[in-house]
Amino acid sequence: MEYNIYAYKCKRCGHVQYPYRTICRNCHENDHNEFDIVPLPKKGKLLTYTILYNPPSDYETPTISLGIVELEDGNRITGQLKIDKPKTGMAVVGRVEIVRNESYNEYRGMVFYKA
Amino acid sequence: MREVFVAGIGITSFTRLEYPLVEIAAYPGLMALRDCGLNKIDQLYVANMGAGRVNHQTGLASAVVDNLSLTPAGADGIENGPASGASAIKQGFMAVASGLHDVVMVIGAERMREVNNLEATDFVATLTHPMAEYIYGVTLPSLAGMFTRLYMEKYGVTSRHLAMVAVKNHQHAMDNFYAHIHEPITIEGILDSPEASTNNPYVADPLRFYDCCPVSDGAACLILTTADIARKTGKPLVRLAGVGQATDTHSVADRKEPTDLLAVREAARKSFEMAGVKPSDVSVAELHDAFTILEIVESEEVGFFPKGQGHIALAEGATKLGGKLPINPSGGLKAKGHPVGATGVGQAHEIVLQLRGEAGKRQVKNAKVGFTCNFGGFGNNVVCLTFVKEK
Ligand SMILES: [Zn+2]
Repeated sequence: MEYNIYAYKCKRCGHVQYPYRTICRNCHENDHNEFDIVPLPKKGKLLTYTILYNPPSDYETPTISLGIVELEDGNRITGQLKIDKPKTGMAVVGRVEIVRNESYNEYRGMVFYKA
Repeated sequence: MREVFVAGIGITSFTRLEYPLVEIAAYPGLMALRDCGLNKIDQLYVANMGAGRVNHQTGLASAVVDNLSLTPAGADGIENGPASGASAIKQGFMAVASGLHDVVMVIGAERMREVNNLEATDFVATLTHPMAEYIYGVTLPSLAGMFTRLYMEKYGVTSRHLAMVAVKNHQHAMDNFYAHIHEPITIEGILDSPEASTNNPYVADPLRFYDCCPVSDGAACLILTTADIARKTGKPLVRLAGVGQATDTHSVADRKEPTDLLAVREAARKSFEMAGVKPSDVSVAELHDAFTILEIVESEEVGFFPKGQGHIALAEGATKLGGKLPINPSGGLKAKGHPVGATGVGQAHEIVLQLRGEAGKRQVKNAKVGFTCNFGGFGNNVVCLTFVKEK
């Protein structure tokens, strides 16, 4: 099965926000349960990135690559990159994978590949 | 609203300190009391970020007020990430301005070197968005790295400009006894020489080792009071004239224009407006250079230079001691050090020294208006203070 990262669509004004906020950032009018949960698109372009040479100690790799991606719907998401030579502006596509193992907890998040 | 003055100041070295956190916090409190000759306060505010997590010490303000034998004064702790220090000064300002208290002690204290560097970095990383940032392994250096790349591409900032910030601030710190790093560096040594890739490796590409502040222990203190009491101390009069704070989105990716630091812009604007001064009136500033890029960008966002021109002013020497507007004469976070919760109070300490004319070899001539920018999160919570020398 394919996992998704979800955004929150305001039932009052239609604004799609990610990450979650209790009050809609656009209309400020909603009640807390007035959101539809919608999957974020997976395609986008790489806005910026970094290679982190001293990642947190629960990572077993010497480096991790992180980037901010502008998705097709205009939302932006921070994610990990599995791209050999990343370039800003390049087209990328995301997959939801395990991004962190901390204290026996696995966290899933968006990992981007070259499109 | 009453006017608020700085009566006494104190500071520890920003370095590795092998003392319990409570004693580290208390020491500049003692110095500040002796500096102004007061021995009683109405209220203590203690800024700190990690005591509960890093030092196994909660209720720090209660511990410090007793250690200084200042009970039964009120005591509150302030945790506001790396902006805790200036946030605590803001609380002190409000207490005196409102008439609630006449003498308020503000201490910022942190002991981060009790754990190793990776643990310290992880503890600071817990301020990032838990689901949209932290779970990906995001740390503050990685946010700064991504931000730097955008800034380089948009405004033509280069690694050389970043290195100029480091060289300048290391040089300034040479004349600051309390600074963490007393190590003169050159662009040749950290960028051009064959050894540069070894002694200045990448931390979060494009940021290198010398673009990042050290992990420090340390504490600083300001005693705030009314005009009447401040006059009686006989110290040169420094007024805390402007306090501004603003916030921005928790997740950095969420910002409309990711090269803007809107909270810095807004906090500075509010601070200058309250003080009734313009950015061009400032004679000396301490900016939050946890990463070299931040000194450049903050110098633009607070209004010293137009957007995208900060690196040019830097390259022309405008921001070094002797230049038109010296920035970070203390050495900044880069070389003075960054004990997170203490930093904002440390910045104010330097500005008060400068306005009093007590800064020794690093004294900015005729300093009349001083400014600090204390940057929390990656720009999601910023407090700016404006100090004015009075007759
Ligand atoms: Zn809405």
